[in-house]
Amino acid sequence: MADRLRGDKRMGEETINTKNLLETISREGEKLPRSERRDFLKQGLLLAGGALAGATVANTARADGSGIPPSVPNWSKSLGPGVLTNPYGRPSKYEDHIVRRNVPWLTADRIASISFTPLAELSGIITPSSLVFERYHAGIPQIDPSEHRLMIHGMVDRPIILTVDDLKRFPSTSMIRFLECPANGGMEWRGAQMDALQFTHGMLSCCEWTGVMLSTLLQEVGLKKDAAWVLAEGADGAHMSRSIPMEKAMDDALIVYAQNGEPLRPEQGYPIRLINPGWEGNTCVKWLRRLEVGDEAWYHREETSKYTDLLADGRARKFSYVQECNSVVTFPCPEKPLTEKGRYEVQGLAWSGKGKIKHVDVSFDGGVNWRPAKLKGLVLPKALTRFGLEWDWDGSPALIQSRAVDETGYVQPTYTQLRDARGSSSIYHKNAIHTWRLYDSGKVTNVQIT
Amino acid sequence: MSRSLKFVYAILSLAVASCGVADDKTSGELTVAEILTSEDFETGHFSYGELATAEQIAGWDIDIRPDGLGLPPGGATAEDGEMLYEEKCASCHGSFGEGVGRYPVLAGGEGSLTEARPEKTVGSFWPYASTLWDYIHRAMPFTEPESLSDTEVYAITAYVLYLNDLVEYDFELTQDNLAEIEMPNKDGFFLDDRPDVVAVRCMENCKEPGSVEITSEPQIDEAEPVVEVDVAAEIAAPGKEIYERACALCHASGVGEAPIPGDAKAWAERIAGGRDMLINSAISGKGIMPPKGGQLQLSDEEVISAVDFIISLSAD
Repeated sequence: MADRLRGDKRMGEETINTKNLLETISREGEKLPRSERRDFLKQGLLLAGGALAGATVANTARADGSGIPPSVPNWSKSLGPGVLTNPYGRPSKYEDHIVRRNVPWLTADRIASISFTPLAELSGIITPSSLVFERYHAGIPQIDPSEHRLMIHGMVDRPIILTVDDLKRFPSTSMIRFLECPANGGMEWRGAQMDALQFTHGMLSCCEWTGVMLSTLLQEVGLKKDAAWVLAEGADGAHMSRSIPMEKAMDDALIVYAQNGEPLRPEQGYPIRLINPGWEGNTCVKWLRRLEVGDEAWYHREETSKYTDLLADGRARKFSYVQECNSVVTFPCPEKPLTEKGRYEVQGLAWSGKGKIKHVDVSFDGGVNWRPAKLKGLVLPKALTRFGLEWDWDGSPALIQSRAVDETGYVQPTYTQLRDARGSSSIYHKNAIHTWRLYDSGKVTNVQIT
Repeated sequence: MSRSLKFVYAILSLAVASCGVADDKTSGELTVAEILTSEDFETGHFSYGELATAEQIAGWDIDIRPDGLGLPPGGATAEDGEMLYEEKCASCHGSFGEGVGRYPVLAGGEGSLTEARPEKTVGSFWPYASTLWDYIHRAMPFTEPESLSDTEVYAITAYVLYLNDLVEYDFELTQDNLAEIEMPNKDGFFLDDRPDVVAVRCMENCKEPGSVEITSEPQIDEAEPVVEVDVAAEIAAPGKEIYERACALCHASGVGEAPIPGDAKAWAERIAGGRDMLINSAISGKGIMPPKGGQLQLSDEEVISAVDFIISLSAD
């Protein structure tokens, strides 16, 4: 039962009626010890909420085993819906539990808030556009692209205003890069708090982004002497703004209008946004309307009051743009427990804002001994990199960790090392080695260890 | 300038990389060598779009810098800002800048930055007063950004500085003196110097096996009530999504004395006034509640569905 509630593959085998589900959760919960029960009930309720939207369609599907060999399933003996049933496509109704989720107590409202990518449910390194985590400071502006403009001005020879179509005429560049909020995992600085991978690491996504190199646009307008910074500003109600050093602007910054081959989603900055590969997500200003070139930084709210890293001595690190090397095991995890003893491929994701992932090591004993994992598929700079390691689980409890090394030689640190250097009030840039506690039952929880 | 632009920045980036300050080169789409050999072009090579006029730029150029660059002419005192703050800001930030619910605390927190629970306010943390003017102007009030006049922004900025004991009640904050306001934590920031932690890739016997202990686990509060989900209400609630998008901001928490749906007592008199009156208030705004909760893109029908949702939860 617990597996099914956690969104296991057998989700569709029984009528998913929300009311029934809630009753079942409550009934099953009664059988558990008190300490585990509350945990269980909470997870069940979370899922029930997710299942609600799909409850009507799911009601029509009743799995009774009549499709399993030697029987032949009904769908093999009939016709299905034709082309254009869903002109833009949508996932199978059996995958309705794969959704972004939020943590209501994190923010005062859902307008200036964040939602999390369901990392446990994803394969490979690309995040579907629909599941990229959301972060808004004033909600999603409803922009008509025909009235959207990008203004480039300030210390330039030729201030210009571009339409979205103008932008698309420039030579295009595509790159696969991760996007991560610097607050990813920030709730864990003072101790383990979130009991799902989605919430410990889900402010993280990776897409193919397509657009125009910012360096091309800056050459087009011509920079004046002493031009050293670019202010990027959004068209949302918060007019989100960040100061970007010219080195980055001329290096790999990209003004994008597409992700994963389709137009940017409104949640991701439609019609255009900035992507600063490897840097804090908030610098990748969405709904981009203005780029101003200047000789000094602007020190706006999102680079002073927010997105600066307070240390134990009361000083704060500023312009801490880079997302340093990080990794996490995505299977097993709280959402994907082990079901039986035997052979598994432990999997995870690693990433670094400074380049390619060089190594990932996995430990099953809380960091005493480590085994090198295999890097799988594409290993790209500043992109999610998937790793895997074959493992025979004998049913014993374990403390599972991953530790990544990037091509600069930087090794992902422990919590102790990070806290010794920074204290625990930084909020941002927590990239410590993460620990999953595997119980003999196969259940997985989030813990921190010595 | 343009022809040598890429060259200049390639050299600059190389210099930075060789110092080990920002070893970012290996990771970009273009390597330094590629930048040096990639095709360079003149300013205006593509000539797409239109040249921006001074008037067009003035309409959007809202940014303010610590040196005061960008500030418009004008000024106002904290006294001028008191009523405005109470009307436009206090519902979320509190009358004394103490913050309501999870909305930001604006004042206090002096000397707390080294404590276990630091209070990062304008007075205790922000390095520049210009940031306050810039942010109030660009993003506040939360539901009606860019609705304040320049004089009103000066007034509210002055009042928030006053709440932090940084200016006197009758001090007139102006275009000329704002950059001179000295913030207590102006020297509290330093440039990114990471990596600040050096870890080693140890593979075997990296610590004593017996020394590994669990130091923390997520705590489930036993006193916390299990959430009751009213399935009937959830399913029969077409306006719920609109309510959450446009209304819950204030109504879910009671910010600004907004009545909370489900509080039958608070709603009794309002519901007695009739559905039409409630709909009218929701669409046109009432008191500090902006029209359509500030989400003007919503249709009247969508707003009405949210009103009906609230009534369904709140009718006695």
